[in-house]
Parts: sequence; C-alpha cells; structure tokens
Amino acid sequence: MNVVELVEVTKVYELPRGSVKALDNVTASIEAGEFISVMGPSGSGKTTFLNIIGCLDTPTGGTVDIGGENINGLDDEALTKIRRDKIGFVFQQFNLIATLTALENIEYPMILKGVNGHEEKSKELVSSVGLEEALGENKPNELSGGEQQRVAIARALANDPDIILADEPTGNLDSKTSKDIMQLLKDTNERGKTIIIVTHDPQVASYTKRTFRLVDGRIDSDGVFL
Amino acid sequence: MIFFEFAKRNLARHKFRSVLAIIGIVIGVLAITALGILGNSVQLAVSEQLCMIGNELVVYPYGEEAISEDNFEKIEKVAEAIPVQSMGDKATLNGESTFVMVYGMRSEDIPKLLEKEAGQFLKHGSLNCMVGSRLADNYELRVGERAALQSQKPRIVGVLAERGVGFDINPDNAIIVSDKMFDSMYNTTGYNSVIVKVEKIEDVEGAKEEIEARLNKKEEVVMVMELKMIVEGIKGLFNTISIFLLGIGAISLVVAGVSILNVMMMSTVERTKEIGVMRAIGTSKREILRMFLFESLILGAIGGVIGAILGFGTGFLVDVLILHEASYLFAPSSILYVFVGIAFGVGTSVLSGLYPAWRASNLKPIEALRYE
Repeated sequence: MNVVELVEVTKVYELPRGSVKALDNVTASIEAGEFISVMGPSGSGKTTFLNIIGCLDTPTGGTVDIGGENINGLDDEALTKIRRDKIGFVFQQFNLIATLTALENIEYPMILKGVNGHEEKSKELVSSVGLEEALGENKPNELSGGEQQRVAIARALANDPDIILADEPTGNLDSKTSKDIMQLLKDTNERGKTIIIVTHDPQVASYTKRTFRLVDGRIDSDGVFL
Repeated sequence: MIFFEFAKRNLARHKFRSVLAIIGIVIGVLAITALGILGNSVQLAVSEQLCMIGNELVVYPYGEEAISEDNFEKIEKVAEAIPVQSMGDKATLNGESTFVMVYGMRSEDIPKLLEKEAGQFLKHGSLNCMVGSRLADNYELRVGERAALQSQKPRIVGVLAERGVGFDINPDNAIIVSDKMFDSMYNTTGYNSVIVKVEKIEDVEGAKEEIEARLNKKEEVVMVMELKMIVEGIKGLFNTISIFLLGIGAISLVVAGVSILNVMMMSTVERTKEIGVMRAIGTSKREILRMFLFESLILGAIGGVIGAILGFGTGFLVDVLILHEASYLFAPSSILYVFVGIAFGVGTSVLSGLYPAWRASNLKPIEALRYE
C-alpha cells in the first residue's frame, strides 16, 4: 500500500517580489515501510515537499493522499487530526516542549488523541529509543542534544503513526551522536515505520534506501543513494 | 487537564511577570470591591436615616407668617392634614439645660405620625409631654419623670420610637406637647407646617396642585414640598456617588486588563515557535485557544480572589473609620460587591486574554515553526 501518493503537485508562494514555484508538478508514491531521504540544494523545495506530506502546508495544485486518505480541501481541524494520528515529526532543533518533562513530552500526543495508559506507553517508548527511564523525569534543557532527539523520536512514535517525517534530524548534533540517531531511525524503519528524512548530509542519506533529489521544485532523480 | 497544566507551568515559568499581572488585577478588584462596599454602605446609612414617607406632603408658609387657621382648613379639604406648631427652646432635663425642639400637635394626630417606644400617647388637652428617643437616651429620661420647659414642668408620659431624619418633623431630639399646652407656653398663632397625608403615592402630585391652587391664588402663601421627590432625589444622588466610585474602580481594572493583554501578547510572541510545534504534532486551534484562556483565567482568578479579600478588608476599615458602623459590611448588597469584584477581575482578564489567545491559535503552524 502507498502511504504517500503525490500526483502533479504544485506549490506556488505569492511573495511581494512575485510568485515563487516551490514545487513544480511533482509526482511521487511512497510505499509503507520505505526509508527515504530527500536531498537538494537550498530552495529546491525539499522542506515544502516534507510540509505538504506532513499536512502542514496545502498544495496549490495536484492531489495528495496520506495513508490512503485524500487531504485536498480538508479543513484545519481534519489536517490537525491527520498530523496527530498518522504522522510523527522529528525536527532539527528537537522542539520539545520546554515546560514538560521528557516523559510528558512523549505522553503529550497520546493525551491529545485520548489514548489510555499513556504513562505506561511513554515509559516503554523511552527505553525503546535507548534512554534510561530515570532521564524521563528531566526537562528538555537538562538533556543533551542526542538525548533530546531520542525523546523527540519517541514522541514522534507515540501515536503509532504511518509516517515519520524528519527535517535535518542530525543538523544540530555532532558526528558521533548523528550516527547513533541515524541508527535509531534505521532500527525504527526496520520495525516497519515509513521514514522520510530531509537532509543535506550524504552520510545521512547513505542510511536510507531511496533518495529523491529535488532541483528547482522538480524531482531530478529518484533511486538508491549513490 | 493537560492544557490547564500547561497554563500553570507557563505562568510559573515567568513568575515575576505573572505576579505583576496579578497585582494589577488585585488592585482593580480591590478598588471595585472596596469602593462598591463603601458606596453601598453610605447608601444604606442614608436610607436608614431618611424617614421615607413617600405619600406625604409638607406645607410650609412662604414668608415669615405662619399658616393661618383659615388656610389650614382649606388644606384639610384636600386631604387629611396634620397641623404642626414648632418652637426652638431651652429645656431642663434631668438637671441639665439643653436646646430642644418643641412640637405642638393635636393629641389625636400624634399616633398618626409617630410611634411610641414606651409609655403612652398624650391625651386630649394633656399638659404632659412625650420625648424623642435620642433625647431620652442622652438625658436618661424615663416615663414618669418631669421635664422643665418655660415655667412649666410637664410629666413625661411617653417616649417615642426612633424615627431618623425626616422632612416633615424631627422628633428624635424633640419634646412633643399637645396643642393646648403649646398655646399656653408660647404666644403664637397659626401653624409652622402642615403635614398632608394622601392615600396613595400617585395622588401626591394632584394634592400638591390642588393645595397650591386653593391657597396661592392671589399670592404665594405656602410652599408645598413632596417627600417622595426629596427622598428620591437624595437616593439618586447617593446612587450616582456609588456609580462614580465604582467607575473609579473600573478604571483601575481597565488598566489591569491592558497589562494582562500585554503579558499575554508577550507570551504568545515568545512562544510562537512552541505553538508551531504543538500545532504540528496535532494540537488543534481550539486547544491552543483554551491553553491561553486558561492562563488569563488563572491570572484573573488569583488576582480576583486576593483583590476581593483585600477589598472586603478595606471596606471594613472604611466603614468603621468613616461611618463608625461595620454592620453595613455584611448586608447582602455589600457582600454582592465581593462577587462583583471577582467577576469583573476574572472577566477583565479573560477578555484581555481573548485576543492574544485567538492570535496564538490562528498562527499558521508552518510559519510559527519557522519563527526564531
């Protein structure tokens, strides 16, 4: 089954200096369980590509199906629900909620969804991303970058989503920690999650099985990373 | 409730700022509560003092001359009328000399106008007297004792019940004697005032016009005063004062509201990125709105309750210091201001939080995420 289906997707931003085509007639399908990297120079449209799959942005033209559901024309509430239930986000700057502890950060999406037993599940997730349970009581600013990114991955997994979207997940980490995080994402993929990573880093892309190269809003190449 | 928890923690994250915002609300609510209680207490005190006999008219002579017997009879034709003679005089009570008001009234009229607290009313043509309640208190007068007035020594047969300040007569500090006794002591003719009682309050206007028409035909002989109007005028005046006081309180609350608006706006701007993250991972607009409204609600509730308690305390102090009477504080209409204060405090903060909360909830997640 295709978890992502983009057909002739176009995104045009209207800016004061004129309109900018961030995505130009992009067609792509991604199957469940794929591990994908999206590469390309700055301004090539890779973040827009990710945002549209993540239901954070809506296309100007074309159709988008996420997890078998067409999202064209859905209202904010429906898109929010898809983000909550079907998508997990991992950000470059970790973006944990500062007032919540690590465990509470992981619980948060489950509370939004109304999942029972979220406390137990969050503890399981903490150990599944390779953190000691005791660290779960810490606030994000008491954790290292690598630990924070592990918590963020656990949070992304909280509602058992179809897709994990990661925007430069290792961009703020040293090379040793980057490898650990990529290994964790790889393990997560091997457990069956579809993962799409936007990155500049060939090292990161080398972990993935398929790479989209975007140039000027078009898919320039699609295949195994070389 | 996760969003309530968020609100609490976000406020705790900026303790100093939250405390300042709360102080604003405290001052506003304190002002509303204390000034409301003060205004209300003054109103209660005044109403208690005013003898509110709305269905009475008082006829006074226009010039120096008293109301003649003839004119009294004309008034009597319009409605039930009570003629009153009065004279300020020196009396000796329990050995002490003092200045009192002496009222001369027909014995049968006295029970129509006044109530007694002890003893009995004057009999027809009696040479005894009754005394007002305050006079009795101040000079420890009891029924059976004698007062000394002019060359007479009338026996006190009754003490009147307290009546408060009236616009017809003020018997609390007075001695009441029969018309016959009055005539025997003072060499006057006519009446100093005539109190006219109408059946229904609606008849007051008509009676007034008729009396004026009958007596003031050729020249102004009498003035007719309506108690209803005076009482209402005074109550209206104090009502205005109350509203004015409340207005002052409301202004301070508006200032507090602006400070909450400011705090909340700062908070939304600072947390733009966090709001973006929350929205991205599945928090709805409504939930963001709720979180921010909880914040202003918490600020308002804490400020409101503290302000109301302090306001009640201030109201108590003011009542005791200015009115020398704390009992008005516990009147339901005073207690009401405690809740009015809290309600206004909470209302102001929630209202001030509305725009920032709306703004925060309507941030586009993608733009909020990009915010640094």
